[in-house]
Amino acid sequence: MDTLPKLSLPARILGLCIAIVLTLIGAGFGFAQGASVQIIILSAIATMALFTWGWRYVLGQFLEDGQEATDGPTPLGRAWLAYRWPLLGLALILLAFIVLSLTVEGFFNIWNVISLIILLAILILTRTLGRQFQQNRSAFIGIMVLAGLFSVGSMNIEGFASGNNIKSMLLFASFLGIASIGQTLVALLGGLDLSIPFIIGAANVGLLYLMGLGVPPWLATILVLAIGALLGTINGLLSYKLQGQALIVTLGTGFAISGGVQIVTSIGSAYGGNVFGTVPAWLSNISAMNGTTFGLPFPPVILIWGLIALILILGLRLTVYGRFLYALGVNRTSASRVMISEMRYWVMMYTLSGFFAALTGSLLLGWSGGGFIGVGDQYLFLTLAAVVVGGTSLLGGAGGYGFTVIGVLVLQVLSSFLVGIGLNFQWQQFIFGLLILPMVALYARSPHIRTQI
Amino acid sequence: MTAPQAATDAKASIEPQGGRSNPFLLMPISLFFALLAFAVLRSPNLITSAGIGSAIIVATPLILATYALMASVISGRGTVDLSIGPLIGFINVTLIQLHGAGYLGNPIAVFLYAMLAGALYQFLFSLIVIYVRVQPIIVSLSGYLALSGINLVILPRPGGMAPEFMAEWGYGTSIFSPILAILVLASAAWLLFTATAFYTHLRLMGSDERAAYTSGVPITTVRIGAHLISGCFAGLASICFTALISSGDPSQGTTYTLIAVTALVLGGASLAGGRGGVFGSALGAVNLYLITFCLSSFNFGAVQSFVTNLAYGTILVVSLLLTLLIPVIQRRIRNFSPLLYFVVLSVVVLGIILHATYDYAALGTAGLVLTDPVQMQAVLVGPLEIGVVDAGTEALRLQVAPMVFGVLILIVVAIFLRLAVGQSSRKSIGPAVTVILAGLVLASALFISQEAKRQTKDVPATEAGN
Repeated sequence: MDTLPKLSLPARILGLCIAIVLTLIGAGFGFAQGASVQIIILSAIATMALFTWGWRYVLGQFLEDGQEATDGPTPLGRAWLAYRWPLLGLALILLAFIVLSLTVEGFFNIWNVISLIILLAILILTRTLGRQFQQNRSAFIGIMVLAGLFSVGSMNIEGFASGNNIKSMLLFASFLGIASIGQTLVALLGGLDLSIPFIIGAANVGLLYLMGLGVPPWLATILVLAIGALLGTINGLLSYKLQGQALIVTLGTGFAISGGVQIVTSIGSAYGGNVFGTVPAWLSNISAMNGTTFGLPFPPVILIWGLIALILILGLRLTVYGRFLYALGVNRTSASRVMISEMRYWVMMYTLSGFFAALTGSLLLGWSGGGFIGVGDQYLFLTLAAVVVGGTSLLGGAGGYGFTVIGVLVLQVLSSFLVGIGLNFQWQQFIFGLLILPMVALYARSPHIRTQI
Repeated sequence: MTAPQAATDAKASIEPQGGRSNPFLLMPISLFFALLAFAVLRSPNLITSAGIGSAIIVATPLILATYALMASVISGRGTVDLSIGPLIGFINVTLIQLHGAGYLGNPIAVFLYAMLAGALYQFLFSLIVIYVRVQPIIVSLSGYLALSGINLVILPRPGGMAPEFMAEWGYGTSIFSPILAILVLASAAWLLFTATAFYTHLRLMGSDERAAYTSGVPITTVRIGAHLISGCFAGLASICFTALISSGDPSQGTTYTLIAVTALVLGGASLAGGRGGVFGSALGAVNLYLITFCLSSFNFGAVQSFVTNLAYGTILVVSLLLTLLIPVIQRRIRNFSPLLYFVVLSVVVLGIILHATYDYAALGTAGLVLTDPVQMQAVLVGPLEIGVVDAGTEALRLQVAPMVFGVLILIVVAIFLRLAVGQSSRKSIGPAVTVILAGLVLASALFISQEAKRQTKDVPATEAGN
């Protein structure tokens, strides 16, 4: 990614021509639909720049392997060896499609055929092109899946690509995204944080409880966030001391936290576990569907998530803290040899995890308008799934928050798609489970034991 | 070199809970007796036929789920099978639906189906881990989501009827029930399995897969085998679970995942692989049951479940922290014997049980279960208050004194022997401890029978006296 590879002159000219044609087509459509001139100019520039960059980047990946092996099986045999799994997959998908067309009435229509073609294209692209991406293969596959799902969804489902649906997808994605920050950071060290859902629930209930006591809302929010960070610190200390037991330690502290907060909030209250109260208008504006950001019609939580994601991605890439984090994740012995304090990073990452979990809980309060301890329950495995689908290794050292963002978006678009085609919650969960495995298998296969000796 | 080595290892692992030191059992044993003593003091009717019976019924699915988890965790690579709970739920709901459809009439078919379904799922799991080479925790996460989704599709809400022959299994009125038989057979099967070379291979692979591979262990076969065993245990756990609730429940089984992982860790197993045993796992699961039991003997009103959560989490974290002390203890005491430790503590707790059973009865006080909501005073003092000692109790104490003295002497003798043999060159004093254990059991049996006789004679007398 540092330096783009050099292309030959004809290739560059060809790319430029295609880019210009594409830009002209886009501009023509823009004028035909009567969009404002500024938007057309902006989108034209964006198309041009993106395509030129993409052309060089993608083509450049092919230039590396010039030499071909001369001995071995015939070219056809080699192609079969290299691409047998995608070919088998293609055959399976075609078979499934034919069977479905023959059995289900009205299945064979133009939209489904186009969806099938897109699916096949994705499969081929991920296997052929994805081979060339050594560094960011999971991100590439994630983006391909995202694009495919989105296009299939917008063709088959009424209102899938409408502004409202995209807004709601982004809203839920930003909750999940903020909740997964901690999980990503901790996973980069090789740990796990299962206390996230409990801290989310506790922050959700605790914030409303504090406001009900008459604490000013801003002070209550700061208090809740600080307590979240404190709990994270405790988690970090404990799981640093008990190396390798992070899963069970954070689970234990999670149980204790959620129990403790509920006991505190139910003292003097007749409703065990549920807290009632009014949420201040600014908090519900931040995370409600009809919220506005500086007058623009989208809830500020999306902007918040975007900003945090940007800071984190850049921070992990460019700052010394980020590089040290990766160093620790890859090999902690050598990292501690170069004077990186292992304990400091564990505590820091778990503290951030607790802080962002508390933030998610507070934001979810603004969304729902009522405190409920179980609000974070689904995030227990969803945060893990987002991290894993994005491509961050749970063993530490590989991945990053940018990957998790892609994972979050994939999960969110997928669930929106499944809701759109009329599947209820249990089927969604089933399909989620079945899809995680092949997606991870595409890029996160560990080497055979033979090669590790 | 390797063959005799393996043979001696296998021989040694026949009695891994015996003379060979496994200091990680220290924590579960201590916790078990502390909880047991507390539970008995809180509600003495735990130690009755019905009390133990119902405890067995409730705890067995959890114990077997922990076994199922243990079998795959030992195989290493961080195989924490998160999908074990949904798998139990899956077998439960399919069993109920198949039974409702008229299949699976007789017990043999039910057992075969449950164990085969579990084994089949775990077989698939192991194949994916071996050939697709994805991290096991991701496979288990995927299985968790998929199975808990499909469970709700198969049986949308709790209901259905368990097979007829299971109907009275779940009553728990006596200690000896088919559930106990399943539990004992499953534990015995694992203990037998530990005597095989396969088990040695499994442990070697769990603690260092590369070493196992280079020394010629067929790691593929071993991994598949571990998962098959885990699947069979999951099937048995599901049968016990079905007997417990005597119907189908799509979401209840899912909760077993987190409890079983907790129980496994409380029992001293290592989630990284290579360490774990049936004794520790069973103790861990029973400890979890006892925690819930103790807490349910208090009445916290509306906050009951929150207090349970709090105590649960705290005990988990504290007992994990206490395992940090084990290396320190190990430096002091070289040859720690879990069996001897078990015996010593069980004698102490036996005394407490006798005290709770007979003294409370003699005092004539009602059970100590609090009826009011939380009172700090009562919570702190309640378990320990005895009340006014009357003449009958005084006499009983005098009579019991020699017994206590005898038991203490036995303990001293045991510890002395333990130290003496520990200092000498011999490794194991298994026989000596066993002899003393048998002596203690006989003595306590004699004591209890005499006490029962005496009480039947005495009770009318004291009543007449009053």
